[in-house]
Amino acid sequence: MKRINSLSTKIVLSFTIISIFIILTIFIVLEKINKEAFYNIEIEKANIIARTIEPLIALNIYLDMDYKVKQITKQLIENPNILSVEIKKENNIIVSAKSEEFTNNKQTFFKINKIIHEPNSSKKLAVLTIIYSNKTYVELTDKYTKITIGLLIFLIIVFVLLVLYIKKLLSPLRKISKSLKSYSPNMKIDFPFIEQKNEIGLISNALSNMQDKISQYAKKQENINIFLEEQVHNKTQELRIQLFTDDLTKLPNRLSLIENVTQVENGSLLIVNIDDFKEINDFFGHVAGDKILIELSKNINNICSHKDDVILGRLSGDEFAILFIKKPSLKDFLEIANNLISYIEEMLFSYEENKISIGVTIGGAYDVDGALLEKADIALKLAKKQKKSFLLYDNNLNIEEQYKNNREWIHKLKKAMSKDNIVPYFQPIYDNTTGRIASAECLIRLIDDENNVISPLYFLDISKRVRLYSDLTKLMIKKSCQYFETLDCSFSVNISVEDMLDENMLDYIKMTIKEHNVATRIIFEILESEGIENYEEVSKFIDEMKLLGCKIAIDDFGSGYSNFEHLFKLNIDFIKIDGSLIKNIDTDVNAQIVIETIVSFANKLNILTIAEYVHNESIHKKVIELKIDRSQGFYLAKPQEKMNM
Amino acid sequence: MKKLILLSIIFVNLAFGYNYNDLLLKAQASIFPKIMLLDKNIKNKLINGKIIYTIVYEQTDYDVALKIMHLINTKYNGHINKYEIKINLVPFSELSKNIDTTAIYVLNTDISIQKVIHIASIKNIITFSYDINNLKKGLLFSLVIEKSTVLYLNKENLYTRKIDFPDSLLQMVHFVDTHTVEGESSLNFDDTSLVQMYTQYFTTKEIY
Repeated sequence: MKRINSLSTKIVLSFTIISIFIILTIFIVLEKINKEAFYNIEIEKANIIARTIEPLIALNIYLDMDYKVKQITKQLIENPNILSVEIKKENNIIVSAKSEEFTNNKQTFFKINKIIHEPNSSKKLAVLTIIYSNKTYVELTDKYTKITIGLLIFLIIVFVLLVLYIKKLLSPLRKISKSLKSYSPNMKIDFPFIEQKNEIGLISNALSNMQDKISQYAKKQENINIFLEEQVHNKTQELRIQLFTDDLTKLPNRLSLIENVTQVENGSLLIVNIDDFKEINDFFGHVAGDKILIELSKNINNICSHKDDVILGRLSGDEFAILFIKKPSLKDFLEIANNLISYIEEMLFSYEENKISIGVTIGGAYDVDGALLEKADIALKLAKKQKKSFLLYDNNLNIEEQYKNNREWIHKLKKAMSKDNIVPYFQPIYDNTTGRIASAECLIRLIDDENNVISPLYFLDISKRVRLYSDLTKLMIKKSCQYFETLDCSFSVNISVEDMLDENMLDYIKMTIKEHNVATRIIFEILESEGIENYEEVSKFIDEMKLLGCKIAIDDFGSGYSNFEHLFKLNIDFIKIDGSLIKNIDTDVNAQIVIETIVSFANKLNILTIAEYVHNESIHKKVIELKIDRSQGFYLAKPQEKMNM
Repeated sequence: MKKLILLSIIFVNLAFGYNYNDLLLKAQASIFPKIMLLDKNIKNKLINGKIIYTIVYEQTDYDVALKIMHLINTKYNGHINKYEIKINLVPFSELSKNIDTTAIYVLNTDISIQKVIHIASIKNIITFSYDINNLKKGLLFSLVIEKSTVLYLNKENLYTRKIDFPDSLLQMVHFVDTHTVEGESSLNFDDTSLVQMYTQYFTTKEIY
């Protein structure tokens, strides 16, 4: 196969095949043509004899000179090629002569029949039959075949010599290619046949020149590669530094810290978070924020710089981490944290003409099994939640368990929503004057896989964190409206300030109310929580709902520090007095005074009051005594799946 | 040599009264009409659509002429090929330029031969002679029985008259030249030599 692939072999092979094909074709064609020609010549010879002799015979027959006909026939038979002559007249043989060879049946022959016509007439006189020997034809074809074969052999010899010559001519190319096989830019090859003045010499020269150029180019490339490698190395180093360094503070960044933390076996970690840093950014601008971060990082670094086993880094925007590679004693660790808090709180940062002070919250992880960063972060979040300046991670806090619990509740909530297992339960609210059901509060419940009815205490806060709260509100509104569409009863639905401020929610509520025709019976209970001070937006919602005929109640009024301003500014219809005031109303004199104030105030504003958490008879009686308009509580009725009118 | 002997015999006969050879007469009666038909212009020489074969004779040879007529009629029975043949017997004394004939067969004469030749040459008539010697005087065809039957032709007369015979006839006849010495054959080649020539030619391999 290797040999067949070589150029010389291919040239020779193709040349040979084509030549053999052409020669054979020519030979076959010539053989056929020539043999046919020989045959035709012999036939023609016989015909010429017949044609030539026919008039003479015709005349002699015509003139009845039969002896002359015989004479002619006899002379004809002397021709060695003429084996037999026969003249038939009206089926009678008038003359017949045969040669010895024909008589002995030694030869093959051609047979020529010639009609003898009367001279000057087309009248048939007789038929001349000449048996003509094909001996000459056979001899000629034999001779021709011998010459052909000889020529063929000669041509084959010529071809073989030509093939050998071509191979010899092309053999230098093979040698050149062999020498090129092991070529590399670093080596020098002495090409053969370079002195030859033919094409081989030209190729060798060209290859030699090319080799020189490649060698020069390779050297240049080598230098470029070295230069590029250096550049790449430097750039890599630079990028590595950038990768692990915070641009703003030039401290190790989060990635660097994570890497360091994983390498530390027995360390401890403090995460320092600047309190309300977002407000500083918003108020003083990002430049001020960045300046504070830089100065703070320098100051903390100054504290830590004298310790070799401490690494300070920036975790995120407003968070720094102090990693103790070798953990100090717990006492020192706590002292460092507390001192740091004090030190930072005493700092005054100057920006333009402002003096800015900051507070920090620190979460610490000490003596924990791995995951320093995560645990310090948990401690930090807990400290924030508990509004403490510093908290040390404690396994006993069971924080991970809480996280796990939260994740489970998120899963349960999502599953319940997908299975349509979020349902409203209805707790009646009674008119204290008539003792009849005045309305019902729709309370959200989750039905789990075991058909347990789950209180919103377990999932409502989580729903806010995972942004499902508004979906739950929509579900409650939809299902409550559907339920009360056919019932002649008012019903109240809880709605948060966030919901009221959501345009999308507003549109949804309007659409649903209209769809189920419950506008005059629905009461929206607004939680007196943070955000209600946004009177403008809240009023907009209230006004729009009231235009439709809806009523508004303030829920949990009296919890915390109740603001009567709400009652003035918001056009509300009901006040639901917080359960904390009601639950001990029968014994708590202070609560009674507060409630009397609220009721009195509400009466003056034509606002109806509702007492929640009425859980026994004594409280119910007190509620009536205090002239609260309506009552709601377990004493009167528990939340139920269906309204019992 | 043989021909000279034959001619001398004929001259001896003339000296002592002319004798006609029956065999020769018979042969001539058989062959001459056929030769006449070989003329390619025979159609132009028909007289009223017939072939008129005129035998001219001396008064003394009337019987011979009659005999020849009888031989021809017997042989051809009034028709030769598709043509009707009529035999006219005309003595030399009555022969004139007004004669309408296709061919003239001349029997022996001493004095009137030029008259026949003159008429034949004017009217392009094919002439046959019993006596071969008359060919030298200007007649066209004669026949001699030698070893075989031999036709003689006066080639000069052939070209001067509007007579066109097939080549094969010309190949087989013996030519007589008016200028040759009496009794001398003027054969250029005969049919035998022609056959031999072809035979030899086509056995020669050098043609390839």
